[in-house]
Amino acid sequence: METRIENHPILGDTKKGKPVTFTYNDMEVQGYEGEPIAAALKAAGIMVHRYTKKEHKPRGIFCAIGRCTDCVMVVDGKPNIRTCVTPLKQGMKVQTQYGVSADTFDKQQRGV
Amino acid sequence: MKRYDLIIVGAGPSGLSAAIEAAKRGMNVIVFDENERPGGQLFKQIHKFFGSKEHKAKVRGFVIGKQLLDEAAETGVKVILNATVIGLYQDKEIVVKIGEAVEHYKGNSIIIATGAAENMVTFPGWTLPGVIGAGAAQTMMNIHGVKPGSKILMLGSGNVGLVVGFQLLQCGCEIAALVDAAPRIGGYGVHAAKLARTGVPFYLSHTIVEAEGDACVTGVTIAEIDSSFNFIPGTEKHFDVDTICMAVGLSPMSQLLKMAGCKMEDNPKRGGQVPICDEYGRTSIPGIFVAGDVSGIEEASSAMIEGRMAGIAAAEYLGYIDENELNKELASLDKALSGLRQGMFAPENRGRLIEKTDEGIAVSDSLLKKGYVADDEIERFPGFTHTKGIHPVMECTQNIPCNPCQDACPKGCIKIGKDITALPAVDDSVSCIGCGMCVASCSGQAIFLVDETYEEGYASITMPYEFFPLPEIGIKGKALGRDGQIVCEAEVINVKSLPAFDKTNLLTIKVPVEYASKARFFKAE
Repeated sequence: METRIENHPILGDTKKGKPVTFTYNDMEVQGYEGEPIAAALKAAGIMVHRYTKKEHKPRGIFCAIGRCTDCVMVVDGKPNIRTCVTPLKQGMKVQTQYGVSADTFDKQQRGV
Repeated sequence: MKRYDLIIVGAGPSGLSAAIEAAKRGMNVIVFDENERPGGQLFKQIHKFFGSKEHKAKVRGFVIGKQLLDEAAETGVKVILNATVIGLYQDKEIVVKIGEAVEHYKGNSIIIATGAAENMVTFPGWTLPGVIGAGAAQTMMNIHGVKPGSKILMLGSGNVGLVVGFQLLQCGCEIAALVDAAPRIGGYGVHAAKLARTGVPFYLSHTIVEAEGDACVTGVTIAEIDSSFNFIPGTEKHFDVDTICMAVGLSPMSQLLKMAGCKMEDNPKRGGQVPICDEYGRTSIPGIFVAGDVSGIEEASSAMIEGRMAGIAAAEYLGYIDENELNKELASLDKALSGLRQGMFAPENRGRLIEKTDEGIAVSDSLLKKGYVADDEIERFPGFTHTKGIHPVMECTQNIPCNPCQDACPKGCIKIGKDITALPAVDDSVSCIGCGMCVASCSGQAIFLVDETYEEGYASITMPYEFFPLPEIGIKGKALGRDGQIVCEAEVINVKSLPAFDKTNLLTIKVPVEYASKARFFKAE
C-alpha cells in the first residue's frame, strides 16, 4: 500500500487501528479498523464510489468530511452511506452504488 | 427538554475557546459538534502558526488543538460529538440529531461557531473522482495517513492553497502546478516561497479549462485568462495529474443564524452571508452570539480569540460577571485580536494591491506573480544582510503579523519592535552564535543562516527542512535557488534536529561562495 504515509516528517508514524479485511464488490481488501471506509478504499487505489442515477457519471471522494455526499456507497446492504465518515469494521460489505442501488444499471433495467 | 446556561454549536477553535471562558465563569455549558472528533480543522493544520506568543505563534495547529481540548476538559466543558444541530428556533431552542434520535435543548444563551465550508469552482470534468477540496486533501493526509494523490494540480494561491500544497509535498506527493485566476498570489509570500524553492511552478491569471479522464482524473488543461476572465487561445498548458485540489475560498456556514431570525448581510469582505454582529459576536437577537469563521472568514488564531470574547460576553449577558469585569477582560483580547488584523493582509486590505511595505520598500513583484523574491529584489529588504561570519538572513518581505524570530534569538540580534507586522531587521552590533533557533522558529521558513567565510571559496547555508528522507552529512546534490532552479553543486555539511526546533530540521549545505545569496534549497542527487 504505497499510498499509505508510513512515516511523516511532522506527524511521525500515523497511529492505525488493527488490520481488518472487508469486501469491495466481492473483492477482499485490507484496511485498518476505525479509519473511514473511504480512506481504506483510497489506500487500495479505488477511486470510483458510485455512479449517478440519471447520467451514470462516476463520483468519488470530494470533501472527505461528510458534507458533500459524493462518496456514498452501499455498505452492508444499506445505500447512501457516507464512506468518508463511516468507520471501517472487520467483514464489512462495501459495494459500488448505482443510482441508489448496488445492482448495476443493466440489472436494474432488466428489473431482476 | 434539557436546559443549559449556554449551548455552543461547533467544537472547533472558536467554539471550544468560548466554552472554556464560559465554563471558567461558572456557566453550565454544552457543545454540539457533528463530527466524530472535536477540534474542527485544527488537527489538520500541521504547520507552525503565525502571530506572537499570545497567539501561540510557532506552535503547530494540531498541538494547539490538543492544548485546547485539555483546557476544555479541565474546565469541565461537555462536548457531544456526532451531534448535528438541525434547527435553531425562537427562544433559543435547538434541535439536534444524535444518531437516529432528534432531541430538543434550550439555552439561556447560544453561541454559533459553525465555521465555514469550502467554495468550489466548476469546469468540464470537475465531478470526476480525483477532483477534491483542499480540506479533503488535509483530512486524508494529516488525519488518516493516506496520500490524496501522487501528482497534483492545486487551484488557488490563498493561504489554504499554499499551506496545503506544502503539506502535500511533505507527505510525498508531487505538485505539477499551482494555479490561480487572480493576477497575484493571494496568500503570504513566505508560504509561496516555500513551494517555489522546491520547484513548484506558479501560474497566475490562469485557470482550469478541463479535467480529463473517464473514470477518474488522468490529466488537466489550464489556460491563461484575460482581465474579463476569458481564456486566451493558444495559452493552453497540459499536465498529467491524477488529482486536482481546489482551494478557492471559504463561505461562512451561517444557516442556523438566518433560521433563528438574526439580521444578516451579504458581505464579500467577510466571505458571504454573515450575521450582523458587534465586535464581541453579539447578533441582533439578544443572547445569540457568534464566533469564528461563521461571522467572517479569517483564521484559527483569530477564531480562538473571537471565541473567548463571545464566551465572556455570554457570561455577562446572563449576569455571571458584571460589566466592569467584561470590559476589563475584553480589553486584553481586543489588543490580541487587533494585533492579528494588522498589516498587508488585514481584512480591510482584502483584494487591494499594496505596492510598498510600511517601511516604504517596494514589494517584490516577482513574489506576487511567481512565488519567490527575485535575486535582484531581495537585497532591498532589511532582513537581508552581509556580515563576516555566520549571520541570519531573513527573507521576510511583507508586513504580516508575526514575531517569534525576535524572541527566538538568545542574543537578541533580530529586531521587529512593538509593531508585530514590521519587517525583521538584523542588529549588526550583536554577534550571531549560529544556534539556529531563529531558523526553526520562523513559521514562514524564511530565515537562513549564511556564512560567507565558511572556508576558502565556500559559503555555508543553513535552511529549514521539513521533508523525509532527511539528507545525511556528506551527501552531495544540487542547490536550488528561490525559483526552484538549480544554481550549483552542494554538499550537506550538517543536519541538526533538536526538540526545541519542533520537527523543523536544520540542514546546512556548502556552496561556492558566489552562490551564497542564491542557494536556498537542497536536492540530493
